[in-house]
Amino acid sequence: MSRRLSRRTFLKGAGATAAAIGLSRLVPLPNFDIILSTSARTYSSFEDLYRQKWSCDKVTWGTHLVDCYPGSCSWRVYTKDGVVFREEQGAQYPQIEERVPDMNPRGCQKGGCFSEVMYGPERITYPLRRAKGSPRGSGKWERISWDEALTDIADSLLDAIEAQGPESIIHEFGSGEGGVVHGSVPSWRLTRLLGGTVLDSNGLTSDFNVGMYETFGKFQFASSIDDWYHADLILLWHMNPLFTRIPSAHFITEARYNGTKVVSIAPDYNASTIHADLYVPVQPGTDAALALGVCNLIVDQGAYNAGFVKEQTDLPLLVRQDTGRYLRRPDVDGEGREDQLYIWDAAADALTQASRKTLQLDDVDPALEGEHTVRLHDGTEVTVVPVFSLLRQHLAQFTPERVSELTGASPNQVRRMAALVLGAKRIHILQGFNTPKYYHGDLMERGMALILALTGNFGRQGTGMRGWNSSQLVMANNLKAKTGFEGFMELAENQLSLEHEFKKADPDLTAEMLAAEVERDESINSGLSPLPMSGMMIPPHFYWYWHGGYREAWNNREWADTGMKRTFDEYFTEAIDKGWWDGLAQPARDQTPQVLLGACGNSLRRTRGGGKLLLEHAWPNYKLIVSIDYRMSATGRQSDIFLPAAAYYEKTDFRFPTAHLNFLVFTDKAVDPPGEAKPEWEINWLLAQKVEERARARGMDEYSDRRGRPYNLHGLLKRFAYDGQLGPDDGEKIAEDLVADTVRAGALPEKTNLATFRKKGIVRFTHVGIDAVGMNMATDIEPNKTLNPLQWHVRDKIPYPTYARRIQFYIDHEWFLEAGEALPTHKPTPKMGGDFPLTMTSGHQRWSIHSMWVINRVLSRTHRGHPTLNMNPEDMKARGIADNDVVKVRNDFSSFDVRVKSSPSSRPGQVVIYHAWEPFQFPGGKSYDVAIPGLIKWLHLAGGYGHLRYYRWNWVPQQVDRGVSVEVEKA
Amino acid sequence: MAKNGASASKAAIGHKAPGQVAMVFDLNKCIGCQTCSVACKTLWTRDEGTDYQWWMTVNTLPGKGAPKDWEQMGGGYREGVPQEGTLPTRQEFGGGWDFNYDEVFYQGKGNTVHLQPVGPKPTWGPNWDEDQGAGEYPNAYYFYMPRLCNHCTRPSCVEACPRGSMYKRPEDGIVLRDEDNCRGLQFCAEACPYKKIYFNYIKKVSQHCIMCFPRLEQGVAPACARQCPGRLVFVGHLDDVDRPIHKLVYDYEVALPLHPEYGTEANIFYVPPMSPYRLKEDGSLDMETPRIPMEYLERLFGPRVHKAMNTLQGEMKKVRAGGKSELLDMLIVYRWHTLFEPFTRDPVEVGGPQAVKSGR
Repeated sequence: MSRRLSRRTFLKGAGATAAAIGLSRLVPLPNFDIILSTSARTYSSFEDLYRQKWSCDKVTWGTHLVDCYPGSCSWRVYTKDGVVFREEQGAQYPQIEERVPDMNPRGCQKGGCFSEVMYGPERITYPLRRAKGSPRGSGKWERISWDEALTDIADSLLDAIEAQGPESIIHEFGSGEGGVVHGSVPSWRLTRLLGGTVLDSNGLTSDFNVGMYETFGKFQFASSIDDWYHADLILLWHMNPLFTRIPSAHFITEARYNGTKVVSIAPDYNASTIHADLYVPVQPGTDAALALGVCNLIVDQGAYNAGFVKEQTDLPLLVRQDTGRYLRRPDVDGEGREDQLYIWDAAADALTQASRKTLQLDDVDPALEGEHTVRLHDGTEVTVVPVFSLLRQHLAQFTPERVSELTGASPNQVRRMAALVLGAKRIHILQGFNTPKYYHGDLMERGMALILALTGNFGRQGTGMRGWNSSQLVMANNLKAKTGFEGFMELAENQLSLEHEFKKADPDLTAEMLAAEVERDESINSGLSPLPMSGMMIPPHFYWYWHGGYREAWNNREWADTGMKRTFDEYFTEAIDKGWWDGLAQPARDQTPQVLLGACGNSLRRTRGGGKLLLEHAWPNYKLIVSIDYRMSATGRQSDIFLPAAAYYEKTDFRFPTAHLNFLVFTDKAVDPPGEAKPEWEINWLLAQKVEERARARGMDEYSDRRGRPYNLHGLLKRFAYDGQLGPDDGEKIAEDLVADTVRAGALPEKTNLATFRKKGIVRFTHVGIDAVGMNMATDIEPNKTLNPLQWHVRDKIPYPTYARRIQFYIDHEWFLEAGEALPTHKPTPKMGGDFPLTMTSGHQRWSIHSMWVINRVLSRTHRGHPTLNMNPEDMKARGIADNDVVKVRNDFSSFDVRVKSSPSSRPGQVVIYHAWEPFQFPGGKSYDVAIPGLIKWLHLAGGYGHLRYYRWNWVPQQVDRGVSVEVEKA
Repeated sequence: MAKNGASASKAAIGHKAPGQVAMVFDLNKCIGCQTCSVACKTLWTRDEGTDYQWWMTVNTLPGKGAPKDWEQMGGGYREGVPQEGTLPTRQEFGGGWDFNYDEVFYQGKGNTVHLQPVGPKPTWGPNWDEDQGAGEYPNAYYFYMPRLCNHCTRPSCVEACPRGSMYKRPEDGIVLRDEDNCRGLQFCAEACPYKKIYFNYIKKVSQHCIMCFPRLEQGVAPACARQCPGRLVFVGHLDDVDRPIHKLVYDYEVALPLHPEYGTEANIFYVPPMSPYRLKEDGSLDMETPRIPMEYLERLFGPRVHKAMNTLQGEMKKVRAGGKSELLDMLIVYRWHTLFEPFTRDPVEVGGPQAVKSGR
């Protein structure tokens, strides 16, 4: 039986490796016996051999606890002889609407071979410590016991608290890898209980859709993938779903058969374009110009949806011509709320306050055009105009000819786009996480939103933009002091009392706005959790700037946004001086980070330029770097201690849900973790215990952080373990608790519990949930309808959570005015890295989810097995480069070597390197990330304005990496 | 039990057997994700000796495919006459690499080493020319072509085997090889014009796609089809007149065999690919010249491809004008399991002899 052979080979291989490194990483000994015992079986014919190959002992539910969009694929995990030998999609998703295809089977090639990763050479199964005397990254390890490892870590954490204060403990939350019970979440809880700094996961991954947030006051709203099918025009714009949304892409090909027109707008003829009807090629980074060109034609032809525009957007709001600021109530009355804005009511021909309570217009008819003179309270007179008038003037420059010069698309392509948009009834723009990775990606998103707002394409099935949403599941496990109903009620009471306070300041806050304010408070004051904790999450840019070595790169004038009137430093300082980031700027400039607690994240792979700057600046100061992961990563290689975690089929957990699916998807423990690997809850429980034990031995108990928040090491474990209710093996109880809380919140059907999931694998949500992120969906979930967000605004007329309480295209923040970005506009991508002829772009690759699977042996065999840089043959020819040649990619920041892949589909002048390769797949360990200076857009440091205030995952500055300037030459 | 033997194979060869299992791949839904390849790999070819084997491959066309330049390797028949074929070399298949994980992770060599295949630098593999295609920007073009054994009605591999080890099962037309009898002479691989036969260098036998017969026998669709997230693989009996395969192949004639001129009467069919309009110099649409040249499609699918494309495009036009199309509704596949009728059982219900004794 040849499967046996493979297992034996595998064991043999593991043994050889073990000998080589003096330890046994992966030898599940009990299985060895079983495998040997089965070798005596014989079979009568070869057909039976094949039949036998397909047999198993046990089937469990599984999913992959990765940051994949939307992911949430439900699998069956097949176990034989105590080893997971394969997985196959569960395919139990019900059809939601009769004439809309179902979601089955969901799952891709990566999910289809996770069992290979589980037992692959990248798997870590014993605690490792960097060998004494060898530098970080050397790849010399010694196997140590859990007790040794935890003692080392505990002492380093205590040292950090003593030396620099608790903020010097850094936990990079990462991308949600590893589950909602396990993964990063237990380390999140522990770090907060210690008073440490938890870096914001969206800030780290650059997955915050800034332009959507600027426009809607939120970006966390998304249609379910089957809702795409309802569109009659789909614009693939900064999304390559054939690579990035493999299990969802069928809704596009099927919609096309159903009559939907599919247009792909991209610099390269990417994989998704092959299934489009139209291809619109554009220069990288010029998409905002194209969007505004389309808007110009819509406005110019008077073809906009006036009803939608007047009711749902800020376009009727009045702006003072003298200052460019909105007309505000204090201007007019000398008192009152500064965020009380005005419209001109054409029905009454009078200045009228724009309602803050509702979008409902009733008898009011807001004028979109016309100048009016308004007498201010001080007797002066000013001219005011609706935003729409300013917009019309502003758009006029984006003629098809001008847009053609900027984008490289021809004038008739711009006109054709406009005609398609105007001819469609339901438009969905599928823009991915590519836009926020461009320096001016927010302008692109604002332009896209403007197309859809002008045509009323929000809040109906088949319309909208792709946002993101991970809510619904009530994930209070970094907040609750106790499990169960009691813990839930403590939070609910705190939430209500906070909301009560916020309502005193502004009685017109909607439920959605209140929930966001509670989150803001939790990040700054930790007012929601009954536990003594540090802030929920912290934007990472202070860490990068003060401790990561980024200040110089961000101040490089040659690479900077040409629209900057001052230096980056001046903006950075002003933002802090104005208090826009109060309570969030940590660790402070003089507080050197001491311990990096990386759980299921890969800082050195992910951080743009981090392989250069973080290694040079942050790493030497760290006293201890810890990786908790199930597989070796670039960051793991550069760690001092590696703690082996359980993989996705070795613990009971859920994939963090997303509204794209609207199902909660379960993974169960099929087998024990191999070797000494442990689930992350257990690891952190043991660490909390050890910290308390070492603190007692060292005589440490009370301390406070820079803001005077008190912590006590005595009782740490009890607090971590939900008032001592949970033991190290009780991860499953947390899973049960998450479900119970979600049922309490009304987002899962009554009586749903873990047994329900063991039976069905998936359960569909019935409500969007109760936290801010959930409410950002602003929609009801109906049992027989695809999910489309923003109904509460469009149908129920509830205000949007923006400063203007409408879909906001005019942002009159002083910096936006200074930048010339009060209205959506187009700006060229800065010459990041210097002035070089080629533009390097990227995107998620087909073969990995971030760096998960990227070094897997099986998947590496489905492509060239090494990183490639795609390049147009013309550009190759001009440089004497042939397919598969090794080239040097360089700019003024750094350089890296990579093999070229000839790609007639790449735009001349563009080179594409998909991510996320591990740095150790490149010669010298220098990946493409080292050529990316990791700039953040200075304007995103703005704050103190309505929605332009941070809370978890929102309004967080993030690094950009698309459109870096490079030259390529034969290495 | 054993289905081997010359009599069984001869009976099934040469005419479409009743109950012939066939597949239709809709290339307009194929996304090149390799889930089918990996599904097959994890189920059947993980053992030593099979590492480089991919019974299911997806390649980008135009391209050289896998094995490299397989279309130039002969085999099959022309006008009924057997054609000489060449045996693809291990290098032409490529792939199956192992990597220096241990050296990079554990041998203390730091950044002096990086992860790469052990041994000679790879120059080809099962999907080496992925996404390369042809044409010139912005009118480059490509599409994805999933390939597996065609389980032909006139399998030249079966005829070529001097030991009579190969046979075509009369009940479902699946082409199999008795691996106990096979001596690894590889005449089959030479004779196969699709070059989908591999050599197991440990067991010293030839091997190829078995169409997941252990699953089909239990009413479960093959792994490549059932695991395809693009929902583009129809499985069924070719003579089942009420089901999509028969309709697509015989009624609508939009599903065509690859290289019909090879003369083996393949039982895997393809709905040919449409493509976005070509762009003229000034950015206007070239409505006359398809982006993927028709000559190229004709080379792949024969002259019937013109009619198939016309039918498809006609139906697309009809639907866009607000009409209804039974054909396109069939290709949309509203309910996933209907792709596989009658092989719609959930594998968890069967899963082989030992399945579901526990744990479910």
